[in-house]
Amino acid sequence: MTEAAKPEAAKTEWTTVSLLEGIKENGRVWEDLANQYGVTNPDPPWKTSLDGMCEALGTTSCSPAMAVEKRWLDGSIDRAEVGGAVPLPLLERRWEEDELSETLYQDVPFPERQLLALTHSLIKRGLVSEEDLAQRMKQIHERLTAT
Amino acid sequence: MSNDHDHDHDHGHGHKPPAPMVEEISDFEALEIAVRELSIERGLFTAEDHRRFTEFAEHIGPTPATRMVAKAWLDPEYKKLCLTDGIKASLAVGVDWLNPTGFGTPSDYTDLRVLEDTPTRHHVVVCTLCSCYPRPILGFQPEWYRTPNYRRRLVRWPRQVLAEFGLMLPPEVEVRVEDSNQKCRFIVMPVRPAGTEGWTEDQLTEIVTRDCLIGVTLPKPGKTTNIKLPVHHAVNPANH
Repeated sequence: MTEAAKPEAAKTEWTTVSLLEGIKENGRVWEDLANQYGVTNPDPPWKTSLDGMCEALGTTSCSPAMAVEKRWLDGSIDRAEVGGAVPLPLLERRWEEDELSETLYQDVPFPERQLLALTHSLIKRGLVSEEDLAQRMKQIHERLTAT
Repeated sequence: MSNDHDHDHDHGHGHKPPAPMVEEISDFEALEIAVRELSIERGLFTAEDHRRFTEFAEHIGPTPATRMVAKAWLDPEYKKLCLTDGIKASLAVGVDWLNPTGFGTPSDYTDLRVLEDTPTRHHVVVCTLCSCYPRPILGFQPEWYRTPNYRRRLVRWPRQVLAEFGLMLPPEVEVRVEDSNQKCRFIVMPVRPAGTEGWTEDQLTEIVTRDCLIGVTLPKPGKTTNIKLPVHHAVNPANH
């Protein structure tokens, strides 16, 4: 890691996202649900899909994005040159997850905290919007609870 | 049917009652689906890539690494191979280290090293940069391994952090901390404990827990589960 690469991600002043604050306050975490329904699986069913998303965001089938990110890490190129190839660089996502886990989402258990942090990073970059997410969540609730 | 009916038996007609399920959609579940759908629609990744990585996430776990160590304890030639060529040794436990997913690696898996403990040297693994971990052979990281608290403190005060896991090492045992990185991942091969003489490979696998393979605990007859640690927040925020 170059010293130049890291501080850029370390100085973020985090602002709250109201959709995510609402989920943080009112969303039911897996531990509570599992206890209520007597389920013994330690992880929520969506955990592996979240892992799959994190992996898929950090690479592509032919992996040019990862190659670009490595060049940034070894100091060959600037962060600005990474952006076009990698929408959400793997290490920035992890550092932001670290920061958000120590600040806005520190009271949320894992992996719910990881999901909130990932979403926060995507919203911050304008890769998805809070409004679109809220609307899509409503549709998903309707879709999954349809009788 | 009464509410206190016991569902642990099979009702005498050939099937067991279904396992309990969570019968509501949480906001977190809906959020995960929403993020995934919108990311695919915006071209951040493809549905196919997501499916493949999720399947990879579903099938990995600590079993191959556990088997590797148990096998090495019983077979000096295999142990030699583990210590000299972790990649080749991993094939014997069903892991193609250089192509673990079968469709391109999820990260930069270029090397796997097996760190041999001795009576006077103990290894423990960390990733100070993020949370690099030998996933193809050991599964996903425990939560504590991902935290800045563990990552930052282990390299400064290894004995203190190990003590928090219940591992008190005498001063004559050297502690060596290995920092994982994008090129190289590590697992620890602990010393085979006393009291396991004559054990089979299967018996030995039961005591080689994930925590032993990271190096935060030592194998011991009868100890077959990992430690569930409360996660403490770092005193100072990450990256400072």
